[in-house]
Amino acid sequence: MNRNHLITASLFLIAMAAMVSAETVTVITRENTVREDCRFLAPAKAKVQFGDQLDVTAVEGDWFRVKFQNVKGCIHKNAVREKTAALTDVSGKGYRATHDEVALAGKGFNPEVERAYREKHPELDYAAVETIEAYRVSDESLKAFITAGGLNQP
Amino acid sequence: MIGKTFVPAVLLLLISGYASAGLLDNIQKGLDMLSTSSDATQKAARPISDEEEYFLGRAVAARILETYPLLKEPKLTEYVNSIGMVLVLHSEKPYTHGGYHFAILDADEMNAFACPGGTIFITRGMLKAVTNEDELAAVLAHEIAHVSHGDGIASITKSRWTEAVTIIGSKAAQNYGPQELSRLTGIFEGSIDDIVKTLVVKGYSKSMEYDADKTAVSYLVKTGYEPGAMKDFLERMVSRGKASEGGILKTHPGTLDRIDTVRAEIPKETADPSRVSRRTNRFSAAWN
Repeated sequence: MNRNHLITASLFLIAMAAMVSAETVTVITRENTVREDCRFLAPAKAKVQFGDQLDVTAVEGDWFRVKFQNVKGCIHKNAVREKTAALTDVSGKGYRATHDEVALAGKGFNPEVERAYREKHPELDYAAVETIEAYRVSDESLKAFITAGGLNQP
Repeated sequence: MIGKTFVPAVLLLLISGYASAGLLDNIQKGLDMLSTSSDATQKAARPISDEEEYFLGRAVAARILETYPLLKEPKLTEYVNSIGMVLVLHSEKPYTHGGYHFAILDADEMNAFACPGGTIFITRGMLKAVTNEDELAAVLAHEIAHVSHGDGIASITKSRWTEAVTIIGSKAAQNYGPQELSRLTGIFEGSIDDIVKTLVVKGYSKSMEYDADKTAVSYLVKTGYEPGAMKDFLERMVSRGKASEGGILKTHPGTLDRIDTVRAEIPKETADPSRVSRRTNRFSAAWN
């Protein structure tokens, strides 16, 4: 490979990286929060739901700075999937796993399968499971709990 | 020479700066075509997604609730959830699809279970066996580590998941036909059996338990709890002769071995005793 090709290839990689950084991420939790700062328990700016697309403006450690419906804030990397992160690694394992997950989203063990399972097992107390899933500790309560117990802020 | 390099360079920068969603889609489609030939192999290796783990976890929780009724004590439940959530936010997996939830089971037996996806059960018996908040945090941290490590999901028989992936991987099946749905529901049920059997009867492998203990100590340190709380709890179980009883200690490796593993992870620095005492006071208050 001569020098010109090397420069062109380098610029191509830079261009691809720029595309990825301008891309979106998809919320993979049932619900989550876009926060004012890139830290847990920072004031909430917007609620997001599974499947919502957020525009990434920057990356800060384990957090993405994002824009969602004209609201700017932060979301933890664990709550989203980098839909096009695949472009950075077309030949690697990471790309393929991510791509498959996107392609097969909603398939597999999904609400349809759960419904069929519940019909087969009406004795199971899913109402109790939903009661448990409704347990919430508010951000304010959690902050007070941390402070009162002399614990570390996450 | 400059011209030859400059032109493609400018074009590429223009692409990067002004790429439309359509262009990105086309690039994606091209990459899709390139990878089509190896799709089948990739699907066989597809891991269980967070969403699937959530549905499995809900069913596992429902199965556990068949044996152990839920204790409905709002104040105590909020207290346990508060400890659990602070630990979770210091873990390497602070979010799951459905989030973490901590519930108390109305049983004398000393036990705790981590359902895939983040629902964690602790029995009333276990709450009575720990003597302070830091020990309770140690027990919860161990269970959070199992969720974070995906240990419940790992107990699903490999052949079962491979069969599921074959059905799921059929691109034609946007909505399952009755036969596919029936097969997939059967696999779902079998997977739940695998997990419940591991959680309640067999226990995880020794290495999974030791890893969960080590990770639990790291969560305690990050959160500001006493790092030696897990060791203190286990040592008390041994001294009271409870290490060989049923419940959680029946499905876990030898308690003395666990103590050795945990001891090696404990840093020299301990938590501020006045803070531990403050937390112990609220632990006592949570019961009243």
